[in-house]
Amino acid sequence: MRDRLFITTMLLPTVVLLLLFYGYPIFDNLRISFTDLSLLGMRRGGNWVGLANYRELFHSGGFGHILFNTFVWLTATSVILRLLMGLGIALLLHTSALKQLRLAALARFALLIPWATPPIVAVVIWRFLLERNGAVNGALEALGIIDHPIAFLADMRTVWPSIVAIMLWNTVPLIALSLLSSLQTVPDEYYEAAELDGATNWQMFRFVTLPFLMPAILVLGLMSVFWSFNNFVYVWLATGAGPGTYTNVLATEVYLKAFVDFKLGYSSAIGMVMALIMGAFGIVYLRLVARQQLEETL
Amino acid sequence: MRGAARGASRHWRDPRPTALIVAAILAILTLFVLVYPAIYVFIGSFRPGGGLLSATTTFTFRNYVHIFQAGFGRFIVNSLVICVAATVASTALSVMTAYAFSRFNFRFKRTLFMGILFGQVFPWIVLINPLFVVFATMHLINSYIGMILTYTAFTIPFSVYMLVGYLVTVPKSLDEAAIIDGASRWQVIWLIICPVMLPGLVATATYAFLLCWTEYLFALAFLTQTDLKTLPLGLYQFFGEDNVDWGAVMAASVVTTLPVFLLFLPIQSRISPGRIAGAVK
Repeated sequence: MRDRLFITTMLLPTVVLLLLFYGYPIFDNLRISFTDLSLLGMRRGGNWVGLANYRELFHSGGFGHILFNTFVWLTATSVILRLLMGLGIALLLHTSALKQLRLAALARFALLIPWATPPIVAVVIWRFLLERNGAVNGALEALGIIDHPIAFLADMRTVWPSIVAIMLWNTVPLIALSLLSSLQTVPDEYYEAAELDGATNWQMFRFVTLPFLMPAILVLGLMSVFWSFNNFVYVWLATGAGPGTYTNVLATEVYLKAFVDFKLGYSSAIGMVMALIMGAFGIVYLRLVARQQLEETL
Repeated sequence: MRGAARGASRHWRDPRPTALIVAAILAILTLFVLVYPAIYVFIGSFRPGGGLLSATTTFTFRNYVHIFQAGFGRFIVNSLVICVAATVASTALSVMTAYAFSRFNFRFKRTLFMGILFGQVFPWIVLINPLFVVFATMHLINSYIGMILTYTAFTIPFSVYMLVGYLVTVPKSLDEAAIIDGASRWQVIWLIICPVMLPGLVATATYAFLLCWTEYLFALAFLTQTDLKTLPLGLYQFFGEDNVDWGAVMAASVVTTLPVFLLFLPIQSRISPGRIAGAVK
């Protein structure tokens, strides 16, 4: 009985705070999405408009483009490249060649630098490098690859690859370090046995290394999906959803509609669409990751 | 015979010279791409105009002097107040919650824990509108208290998860011995358990602090008054409408990032990448 009182006291502040900051807002967001609430008329409150915001949303021409940007560029491209490059770097750091050259420790340390760099600063760094008269243009011109400097973040042909590059620079090290630590758990005997059987390097990778890494790759990939899909800062700080609204994604659209166009109701409707999509992923997350985290910790 | 020779030369612990060269080139390229941008900006912060226009190698502190004259110190103070307070509150609450999770069995324990873990992947942007409406009516926009509460709530899921992980490794017999000696549960938590898991506690608190220190979205939405803005907002203030004061931006970036590096490097080995993956936003 005394224990029960103690447990309640220990949990209550956290649970109340989390309900106030996660639980209540998500329901309130649903309510706001059925109104025409404006940021300028919050005191007055909004009028109930039913599904009008959703109807407007799905009939607006730009929404398909925003979904495309969010799914294809911000999420799929960045997640797939992040996993591939992370795996590549992890394998490279794990090769005996690197150990023989005494580069492995140095490379590990080097990975910490982009990882420790906050996203807000990573964007600054690359905006500087990608300037018209910046280092990237300078290098490309010196190598004779281009004749005229490219405005990487203002040109529609280069803006998405540039944003993805910024994300990758900032986040690949985390994936690489995670996979590297998984690689180190593969027992040597497996490789020795495979070698005795005459396996090629590719076969060793395909049938020994990859199956060992698969659980880690799955979890990192899933976390990466959340993290890219929900991300606001990279696009917002790199381009402000521009040029025009060319790189607009769901997260920046929620912000733009609420705080630039003052249409809180409409913005909340977009937020609900986001939450629904993430909810679907959330079920996968609960089944795959959260349960595993639960087993590991409790 | 041939097979054996090939096998030996291909052995993964004994690379061929070509493999060695290829690996070295790839590694150096990777290292360059990873490290050079950060160093370039660090050096740029000591060059006039960030070194973009002039190819000179002049060394100057003027960018740093300039940002502090432009009021950057104020942003640092704001960030420090908000982040330290939020970190203390969030860590204290997380220690209590994590202790209950690691020591007791109670109804809905698994569900509750899953719910807290789910906070790690929540789309924060969706919470901005409803929170803004509530904050506006409660005068929490442009307020330290509003930001501290927000950051406390948003670092708790990660901190609870980290701390439960550490707490389950602390033997329960320690608590029982202290209780037999007449200590209360409350004393056990703060006087026995916390010192025992101090390294984990420090790592958790540090990471929570860093999450707040570099948070941009909530600060952007909830802080509109210049003298209350935090460091990330202050940093982007140097991006003008038409032209960018690169020298100032570089210097401000270094001032923002240096504490992050100094705090992050000692704790990075304690925070396994797999765990961070759940916390990075």
